Amino acid sequence: MSTPLQVYEPFKAGLPKLGKYWKSLWSRRTFIAEYSKSELREQHFDSVFGQLWLVINPLLLSGVYFILIVIIRGGSDSTRYLHLTATLFLFYLISNSLTGGVKSITAGQRLILNTAFPRVMLPISAVVIAIFKFMPTIFVFLIIKAVVGSEFNFEMLWAIPVLLITMFLGLGLAITISCINVYFRDIASFLPYLTRTFLYLSPVLYEASELDPKLRVLEIVNPLFPILDSWSSALVHGRMPEVSNMLQGLGWATAIFFIGTYFFLSREREFAVRL
Amino acid sequence: MSSLSASSKHTTHEIAVSVRNVGLTYTTAIDSRPTLKARVKALGRGSKQTRVVRALDEVNLDVEYGQVLGVIGTNGAGKSSLMRCIAGILPPSQGRIEVNGSVSTLLALGVGFNPSMSGRDNVYLGGLAAGMSREEIEGHFDEIAEFSELGDAIDAPMRTYSSGMFARLAFSVAATVRPDILIIDEALSTGDAKFKEKSLNRIKELRSDDRALILVSHAMKTLRETCNDVVWLHKGKVVQRGEPNQVIDAYQKFLDLGKSAAIDEDV
Repeated sequence: MSTPLQVYEPFKAGLPKLGKYWKSLWSRRTFIAEYSKSELREQHFDSVFGQLWLVINPLLLSGVYFILIVIIRGGSDSTRYLHLTATLFLFYLISNSLTGGVKSITAGQRLILNTAFPRVMLPISAVVIAIFKFMPTIFVFLIIKAVVGSEFNFEMLWAIPVLLITMFLGLGLAITISCINVYFRDIASFLPYLTRTFLYLSPVLYEASELDPKLRVLEIVNPLFPILDSWSSALVHGRMPEVSNMLQGLGWATAIFFIGTYFFLSREREFAVRL
Repeated sequence: MSSLSASSKHTTHEIAVSVRNVGLTYTTAIDSRPTLKARVKALGRGSKQTRVVRALDEVNLDVEYGQVLGVIGTNGAGKSSLMRCIAGILPPSQGRIEVNGSVSTLLALGVGFNPSMSGRDNVYLGGLAAGMSREEIEGHFDEIAEFSELGDAIDAPMRTYSSGMFARLAFSVAATVRPDILIIDEALSTGDAKFKEKSLNRIKELRSDDRALILVSHAMKTLRETCNDVVWLHKGKVVQRGEPNQVIDAYQKFLDLGKSAAIDEDV
């Protein structure tokens, strides 16, 4: 192996060399895994009761929202409950990516000030943690679906590409918001309002098909809308999601990922002095 | 970023680190916690939210293999900034730094450690944070555990550790990494006298012809004993560089005198 020669020079606004960046990120994948694991352990999700809480928490939430739906509509059925649970669980994947991502850079201050590594590793870990927290809820959903006697079919496998798009979107959002939080530390306090708003703007408490045509604009401006709709189509109704919905979701995810990552990478060399 | 195991043999007097005309100015937020609210409130009032700090100014420095360079200076002299530039943590705003070899930094102890995990888990976490591979850490684990003198406590969560125990484990992890260039920033002042001596001995062991060591310290006696070259920084500039005793004597004389006009003059 030849001796690595590193050159550090003033950087102009813009991206670092991407090939090199990716290589050094890839070489740290074990650290990303270990770092995420340690964060999960810190939140006690490595214990039986910790994992149980991961399941109970969204279950209780879906229960509460179901009561709300029943009262407002004067009745409901099992499909409604399945839709609510499935979409709420997926919504929490996004929401956890955001809440974990927002402080990932500011909380990693000691690491950033004392070690040279690709900073994007920190929001990536936050998303890995959110995915870990999401996984058990899939099984809970499948059990509920079996219990209420809903049909299982192969079309449900469409949920896999939808899930991948959601993870991609979660990653883009986490990278973006972690970078914003370095410059505006109060973003973290706005976040609960933001996620709550998006929860109501997304087809979780209602189905996309029920939306008043006058409010259709929500489908276009809310990145989560097409994704949650596709998710419900596949998992709850057992049919292939509309291709346009999946493409729209992928489009949003790609745009957010690239814009957020561009900002992040062009700013990250400055993080050490901003913390 | 570099791999940490010494990648190839370097010969004495080969340049390890070359710092050319390096300046570092950075804008930092005046608020320790910049917020959107504060920014909005300041709109139209034109009040500045940032401050420009000049940390390094035209620094020229070569470090050769086989050298143990001590870095001295008062607080705020730019020592840590220079170390962070060499380590690739802060990009310089002027000039050029070339680093020829793998670098490991010991700028602060226990970076990457998670207090809720056991000492054992943290050895892996800290090692990975320092850029070692899992296999490398596994191979050195016994050595690390033994050096830290923690005994059975290595399996207890780190939040139950005393600060001395924490520092001992952190130093043990860091001292296992065997890079071409090792930068140590005041990390030796930890633990009790016995452990201090032990860590100093480890540093002395690490001195070799194919390695460059950079030590930032306020412990002048240690520097006199360990280093073969010392550089004195003041207000981001190199004041003097050379034979340790000579430079340290001058620095101590300066400290005794208090502010010497020549050195503080802003031209």
